[in-house]
Amino acid sequence: MTVSTTGTAPETMTGATAEAAGAAASQHGIIGRPVARIDGPLKTTGTAEYAGDFHLPWMAFAVPVQATVGKGTIRSLDVTAAEAVPGVLAVLHRGNMERLYRAVPNDPNATVSETRPAFEDDRIYYWGQYVALVVAESLEQATAAAAVVKAEYAAETPEVSRELEPFAGKWNTVSTRGTVDAAFAAAAVKVDQTYGTPAETHNPIELHATVAVWDGDRVTFYESTQGVVNHRNAMAQILGVPRENVTVVTKFLGSGFGGKLFPWPHCALAAVASRKLQRPVKLVVTRTMMFSNVGHRPVTEQRFRIGASADGKLVALRQDALNHTSLVDSFDEGCGEATGYLYSVPNLTVASALVGRNVGSPMAMRGPGAVPGLFAMESAMDELAVALKMDPVELRLKNDATVDESNGRKFSSRHLRECLETGSAKFGWKQRTPQVGSMRRDGKVLGWGMAAASWGAYRFACATTVDLNADGKARVRCATQDVGTGLYTIFAQVLAEKTGLPFERIEVLLGDSSMPEGPLSGGSWSTATVLPAVAEAADGAIASLLSIAASTPGTPLAGADAKTLRMTEGRVHRATESAGLPSAGVPFEAVLQAARLNGVSADGRSGSVFEDPKARDLSMHSFGAQFAEVEWEPEIARLRVSRVVTVIDAGRIINPRAGANQIRGAVVMGVGMALLEETVYDRRNGQPINGNLADYLMATSADAPEIDVTFLDYPDFALNSYGARGIGEIGLAGVAPAIASAVYHATGVRVRKLPIRIEDLMQA
Amino acid sequence: MTEETVLREDQQEIELEPVGAVKAEGQSVRVTRRTFLSGLGATGLMVTAPLAASASATTANGAAAATAGKTHVVLKVNGEEHDLGMLDSRATLLDTLRERLYLTGTKKGCDHGQCGACTVHVDGRRVNSCLTLAAMAAGKDVTTIEGLGIPTRMHPMQAAFVEHDAYQCGYCTSGQIMSAVALMKEPIGESDGEIKEAMAGNICRCGAYPNILAAVKQVRGQMKNS
Repeated sequence: MTVSTTGTAPETMTGATAEAAGAAASQHGIIGRPVARIDGPLKTTGTAEYAGDFHLPWMAFAVPVQATVGKGTIRSLDVTAAEAVPGVLAVLHRGNMERLYRAVPNDPNATVSETRPAFEDDRIYYWGQYVALVVAESLEQATAAAAVVKAEYAAETPEVSRELEPFAGKWNTVSTRGTVDAAFAAAAVKVDQTYGTPAETHNPIELHATVAVWDGDRVTFYESTQGVVNHRNAMAQILGVPRENVTVVTKFLGSGFGGKLFPWPHCALAAVASRKLQRPVKLVVTRTMMFSNVGHRPVTEQRFRIGASADGKLVALRQDALNHTSLVDSFDEGCGEATGYLYSVPNLTVASALVGRNVGSPMAMRGPGAVPGLFAMESAMDELAVALKMDPVELRLKNDATVDESNGRKFSSRHLRECLETGSAKFGWKQRTPQVGSMRRDGKVLGWGMAAASWGAYRFACATTVDLNADGKARVRCATQDVGTGLYTIFAQVLAEKTGLPFERIEVLLGDSSMPEGPLSGGSWSTATVLPAVAEAADGAIASLLSIAASTPGTPLAGADAKTLRMTEGRVHRATESAGLPSAGVPFEAVLQAARLNGVSADGRSGSVFEDPKARDLSMHSFGAQFAEVEWEPEIARLRVSRVVTVIDAGRIINPRAGANQIRGAVVMGVGMALLEETVYDRRNGQPINGNLADYLMATSADAPEIDVTFLDYPDFALNSYGARGIGEIGLAGVAPAIASAVYHATGVRVRKLPIRIEDLMQA
Repeated sequence: MTEETVLREDQQEIELEPVGAVKAEGQSVRVTRRTFLSGLGATGLMVTAPLAASASATTANGAAAATAGKTHVVLKVNGEEHDLGMLDSRATLLDTLRERLYLTGTKKGCDHGQCGACTVHVDGRRVNSCLTLAAMAAGKDVTTIEGLGIPTRMHPMQAAFVEHDAYQCGYCTSGQIMSAVALMKEPIGESDGEIKEAMAGNICRCGAYPNILAAVKQVRGQMKNS
């Protein structure tokens, strides 16, 4: 990994220099240093506890029964055989289970993924819908009994077609300026094409899991969720209990990619079964259910019309985007996410519409809207470059925007131009010859392609508490969760920076809804959201400590003006004394001990960016550029992605080591999106026909290309005092179109419908 | 069955008492995975391919599965013997480790041998514990991630994974590490490509593959130099 030093923040250490200085005891400059994540020893020894790892005495196991038709009505449900299976404790279904409530619609603090609770009616809306739940003493017994629940259906033919056109329904205008149709008609050079992305399944390797346990009228969930607070609020509404009676615990999450943002029907089922049996109940969904019952990125079909002048200036851009949704929810993928602001174009319209299908409800998947939207737009831009006989990097540079033309706002920080130029230089783009199939290496045809990337920057409300304890430790608490990428370490870095304590003396407690309320892990906003709140809480706790030091008799600092005291490297000392000297001041715990205190605490709060007068009039986004190389062997129809260069402008990177890992991982996912991933629904019964990890292909180690990640280093101080934006999704944006363009360059085949299959290239 | 047979690479040797036969002192029967499964008939196959509880499954087969018997199983895991008493014959090694021995470091990712998250060592070789019935592992040495090292005393591969940030969410990590450790004894070439192929059975959805490769290469290098 390389860290660019072209940024404007000289106080930020670059990765290379920080690594060299990393051994130093000082925690000064730990923000931006590529430190090892603090949970590594737990994750590599099997010690980290994920939801399904919790075991409680007298626990029972629940296995849902799935519908085997994609549309219809349950005619009868025979559970006699299942109930007769040894060890079975209950078979719950619509006929015998207490009603679940719905969560309040549009309550932003209690969002659910599928609004229809399990067993609400006898209709089947999609294949795999839960029709019953078996609970037994053991997993083997529950699994066997679930297999003998006999359901009869009045089956109808489900509609699961990937083709969304022809569409006769209502379109919504998402964004518009100028007169796009007239401008397009008059344009000198045009592209008018339709692009498609398939249903993609999130497929985190951790199966969704719920362990529910009641204690009287209080329930605790050990849950795989990207939002413990939201989960608590939603479960309270669905189960009809006060919010205070629900606790949600997510210590470690086996990632989610959006699929675990909000509760799914199985979560409440586990709780209902537990309440009925008065026993803890564990419910782990199967991989089969992961394809039908816990969301997916919906199919999209997007028509792009781009018009340009003969010299490559955009004059018209029109995106008409369809995405499929389920019949129980209206999920808008938002394919126009990045369309309105990425380029300068006077005439633009983005419109979208939804098409109902007999599938489970879709759910936001890494970079929702922007990722499929940019596949279409950046592919169209590449086609425009070909039509213009213009270099595709040059085309982007020529149309770079200086303000957000969708709303007239200034960008808080936009360095797309530098991403393109840096990526071009690192990739060696100048050596590219534009003719199809004109580049070769080791007997293979090379294809080089590129695309721009973008994703929004957000900050939401967050509260944290920092404690400085007489045992010499600092502790921070927040009801947010580490989705798996490094939030524990981000908290520790801020606390280390503020207190000067080493990580061994810092405790980070996350993933418990009873702590101060923190954000959902989504939208790449966790880091930007928590940083100011942790900093404020730490500052508050330190101020309290210094005030106590000044007023506690018996310490060397007694009688000093608290304003002249500092906390450095875990010690309280006078500002005039050199920090870090063993003789300077006293250990902070000595102050607390002298004052006979267990510790001092302070709360930190930060608000949403949408209520921040400094930020709300700005357009805040991250930017990036992706450059991809493919190797094509036409003789054996073998296509490999061999190299990707990624340049990311995401503000200040708090931990470049974890950050680069995350970007590389997103690129790997992009290789899968481009070449491998598609959930295929059986037209006869709506079943995801490749609903397993052997038939739904995801990139393996053998598919991972050489990946070069560069972070530009422009802190975005409008978003927060650390200048950090967030990097969860942007690494995936632009990868698929860069690969598709590289494939065109190698083969001459323009694939507009992902994934790119060998069959598509056989015409080459 | 008593004849000496040459095992294929995908077959394992396990010692079992023949069904309905009394085993004489010192006598052992050699059973391959294939013959073991065919001996179980439909019941056994139901277990290895649980159809996710589809409601249309045949009642007869299901009922047979539901009433399947129990087997006395003693497992040796991480050097320690565990008498599991009369264990449900359908119990996989994975579910037995997780739900009965509470060794939850071994993860379930697919239950179909497709993701590698459940990888453990049986007699030093890597196997998918979700595809292994617990009874098949009786009398063998089972090693799980907990047996490799603990946070304060990590195995070199665990330490290398930390050093190279060779994970993100950590869920597939146990399986990755168990595969990587077993790989050290496998006849695999020097190139990055060969290591990547040898690790391709362990899916990391977070895509930490470049860092996993770096960790595996480092430990291989150490082993060669030591």
